[in-house]
Amino acid sequence: MNKIGQFLSLALVALLPSLACAADLGLNSTTLFRFEQRAVPGFARQTVVPATQFLRMDLEKIADGNLSLHLYGWERMDLADRSTADGSNDGDLAYGYLNYRFPTANAELKGGRFMVREGVAAEQIDGVSARADLRKGFSLALFGGAPVQLDRDTHGKGDYIAGGRGSYRLKGKMELGLSGLHEGGVRLNSAGNSKGDRQLLGGDIWLAPHRLVELNGHTFYNSASDGIAEHSYLLAFKPTKVISASAIYNEQRFKNYFTNSNVRSLFNPDNGGDVKSFGGNLGWTIAVPLELTADYRHYNRTSLVSSDNNGNSDRYGLDARLTLLDRKLRSGLAYHRSDGANSFNSYSELRGYCLYDSGRYVNSLDAIAQFYKNSIFNKKEAFELIASSGYRILQDLLLSGEIAYSRNPQFSDDLRGVLKLTYNYADTSKGAKK
Amino acid sequence: MNGAKFCIFSMLAAAALAISACSLFSSEASLPAWHAEELGEGRPICAECHEDQIRGTLKPFASFNHSRDFIKNHRLYAAREAQLCASCHKSSFCNDCHANQLEIKPSIKLGNRPDRELIHRGDYLTLHKIDGKIDPGSCYKCHGRTNNDKCVVCHR
Repeated sequence: MNKIGQFLSLALVALLPSLACAADLGLNSTTLFRFEQRAVPGFARQTVVPATQFLRMDLEKIADGNLSLHLYGWERMDLADRSTADGSNDGDLAYGYLNYRFPTANAELKGGRFMVREGVAAEQIDGVSARADLRKGFSLALFGGAPVQLDRDTHGKGDYIAGGRGSYRLKGKMELGLSGLHEGGVRLNSAGNSKGDRQLLGGDIWLAPHRLVELNGHTFYNSASDGIAEHSYLLAFKPTKVISASAIYNEQRFKNYFTNSNVRSLFNPDNGGDVKSFGGNLGWTIAVPLELTADYRHYNRTSLVSSDNNGNSDRYGLDARLTLLDRKLRSGLAYHRSDGANSFNSYSELRGYCLYDSGRYVNSLDAIAQFYKNSIFNKKEAFELIASSGYRILQDLLLSGEIAYSRNPQFSDDLRGVLKLTYNYADTSKGAKK
Repeated sequence: MNGAKFCIFSMLAAAALAISACSLFSSEASLPAWHAEELGEGRPICAECHEDQIRGTLKPFASFNHSRDFIKNHRLYAAREAQLCASCHKSSFCNDCHANQLEIKPSIKLGNRPDRELIHRGDYLTLHKIDGKIDPGSCYKCHGRTNNDKCVVCHR
């Protein structure tokens, strides 16, 4: 057990008397049995039956009422053929942390395993974090610890990670943020005999010069390779209550985006190249239950590895969503087209779904199909149909089953069934229970 | 300076730092840990009930309406408003798609929720060969640095 694990265990033991008196318990258990038959031409038919248990527990209002404990993880066991190449069982602790929320200043302290989202950082760490709003619109967040390692030895992360974000807010008009991240001891090869540091700086902005207009985005800079890593900006217009429009610009420069990250063992993206994309969405709420959205995005890719990967591509489409009967009936229809650059394939995608949740019964149908411009393994189309039916045995206990059938270039027939038991308990009715 | 003096000096310095830091903190009440009322299923439109600005974020509620744009670009909001997200969503909600190690494709885990915007629906094993060439940056956000067990089966 590592030091963080020991710390968590000690903290749990020390907190046991308080935990017993915790005023608020949330529990979510999802048990999934998947039944899948896979048939690949030239290979033996495979039957996989993995049973997976997801478990989440939240204990709130511990001790003085401001402390909470949050745990979430999963465990899988294969009951027939192996479902993955790694082994017949697996598991992961996604998070397990103590959180102390102060009554003022949105101040909080966290300790344990958790996800950090602060500007340039989106990291799962074993460590601590602190944040607070300061006077005059300023705020500060800091974190530090060890990045959670992947379970594959060849893709280890750094030995330690630290960073933070500071921001300034002008009420209703603007927020400016500066963030940084330093990850030390990142293994640069599978042998682990070459190590480097990962250093990113970020600037982010939210700007609302008028109540109908918002600009939201960030720029990340890699101070280890000395160059811009990413730009990502969204400009949104809301001229009326029923119409919305947005423009988006993204750019990623791979050398700086991935220098000294552990991703290079997979695709070596830090050899160079970039992707620039721009586009927009147009949304129209024709009536309260019916929404239409049109979207378009243009991509330009430059690759230093292979000129075959260079080119301009477009993706565009239409979505319609219909919501009726006080949101009990939710349905949608979508068409999208991806026109790849000359050396890439292209495809069209059509999807339709319908969900009806009466409170006691939950039923849904979902169909998706793709049509390729050029054949893939002598096939030019793929489809998947999913039918689902569920029954709430109790208000918090849902038993549901799904059956899916698909044909595609990879599988001549793919039949999948899922049996799911979901228990979602909370002491008090609050939030979306999500 | 001997050890005892150093300890006393350090403790005094820490106390002074703590006191001065406390005077810098905002005195405004924190966001509630949970949204006061239970929300129904579907995408919430915050501005349907709220007109003012959200305490702490100093932004209008309408900025957080769960429109299609908001959902597609939620990373821009989550990177600075994680506390606000947490007032309705448990971290496990994020883990349905974002995790160091994702056990099940989100659209299979949530096969009974076709109304949710989930990535990689249908035959994505085939589609990733096309989408990955058009915009590899979109893959690398989630795969490679984390959650790459499925990738390394073929990409070695």
